[in-house]
Amino acid sequence: MAKWRDTFKKWLASKTNLPADALLDLPRVTMIGQLHIYIENHKGVVHFSDDELRLALNKGQQMKVKGENFVIKTILPEELLLEGKISCVEYIDGKGS
Amino acid sequence: MKNKMFDFLAGYVRAEVKGKYPELFIDRCMKNGISIWQVRRIGDNAISCCFYAKDISKIRVLLRRTGCRLSFKQKYGIPFLIKKMHSRKGFIFGFIFSLFVIFFMSNMVWSIQIDGASPEVEHDVKQVLHNIGLKKGAFVFLLPSEQEIQQEVTESVDKLTWVGVKRLGTRYSFEVVEKKVPEEKEALNPRHLIAKKKAVVYKVFTEQGQAMVEERDYVQKGDLLISGIVGSKENEKIMPAKGSILGEVWYLSSASVPLESTVVTNTGNFMNHYYLKAGNFNIPIWGFKKNSFLKKETLTDMKPIYFLKWELPISFEKRKILEIEHKKRVLSEKEAKKLALEMTEKDVIRKVGEEAEIKGKKVLREKIDNGKVNITVHYQVIEEISTEQPIIRGD
Repeated sequence: MAKWRDTFKKWLASKTNLPADALLDLPRVTMIGQLHIYIENHKGVVHFSDDELRLALNKGQQMKVKGENFVIKTILPEELLLEGKISCVEYIDGKGS
Repeated sequence: MKNKMFDFLAGYVRAEVKGKYPELFIDRCMKNGISIWQVRRIGDNAISCCFYAKDISKIRVLLRRTGCRLSFKQKYGIPFLIKKMHSRKGFIFGFIFSLFVIFFMSNMVWSIQIDGASPEVEHDVKQVLHNIGLKKGAFVFLLPSEQEIQQEVTESVDKLTWVGVKRLGTRYSFEVVEKKVPEEKEALNPRHLIAKKKAVVYKVFTEQGQAMVEERDYVQKGDLLISGIVGSKENEKIMPAKGSILGEVWYLSSASVPLESTVVTNTGNFMNHYYLKAGNFNIPIWGFKKNSFLKKETLTDMKPIYFLKWELPISFEKRKILEIEHKKRVLSEKEAKKLALEMTEKDVIRKVGEEAEIKGKKVLREKIDNGKVNITVHYQVIEEISTEQPIIRGD
């Protein structure tokens, strides 16, 4: 049932102009050069250090941001602004999907 | 996104969170809606972050659950500054107090200088000033304006002609011009005394010279009254005539008084309101009572406030609100007549001066017309009729 719903949503997103992040509960990532990264719709901080930030996403997926001199400028439920020198953004698939 | 100014007003702290898994702490804060910012990792098991002072108690609860420990590093913002000030109360109080002292001193009268007056007049002037309230230590903004002071002093001290009032910061300077009472000057030049208007001679007092008229004589303007030439033709002497001739002069005066009129009068009720004025704002500082006057008149007196020599953008304003009344005055014919008579008498006295004496009066005409009493009165006045005329000898 859940799988069927996901397929339907994907189809809807591709056929209409509705934004995919709202429809599919995916993160929206905005980057300003290497300086800032703004991540909406995350599910919490898993790991945070000077050079790495790992965020939980839905369905056990994780997002890994690598770089230098990381500072979390603001953190709100579902919103996060990270500052530093960002070199790499990576998705890590969880066991769930 | 975040307002630095607001953070500063609300007060926030930078703290270190130590624990096995500080990410959990960040997570919990986020989920509980506690805003934290400037999160930085500072060690294997420690992060530093900022949060509002008001959230401290909530954070303590979270810490207990996540097994982290908190140590404050720095405090920012107004609430902490205020706390700090509390510990330096004496200094702050002293500072504010000294500002107040300077402020009050700047608005005080420090010296009163009176120039150009004899000791006697100076004393009188000082006395008047004292009564107005102008003395050392008085507040400038509570005093009447310079013009009012000038008027008051000029009116109260008889011996001076003019007084100039100037305020130089905290000093009042008065420039006094004393009245020089002219001494009775001796009439050195030979002269006659002649009539200055037509009259019936009432009394003749001759001091020097030859009286040419007698009582009950009728004289025209310019008639010789006391001659300065005395003696027979061969043995004549020329001297300044001296004396006083009182004559009976007739005057006509008329007045008209309406039976019904409206007059604006002061009921005697008034209220003083004091304001501090800053730009267009009026801050009431005394006199909050609402006036219940139906009709009113407001007198405004504004005084600037000084700090040292600078005029501050605030000023002190006194408003006197007077209750006025429009009264309908209805006079009976008798009252109106009486009033009209008084008016004519005043009119005559104004014409002839205070020294003259009204010997008799007679109402010539009296008519009520268009609700007005018109009256014409004939006055017999005894007054001085002589004036000087120098004797000029051709050869």
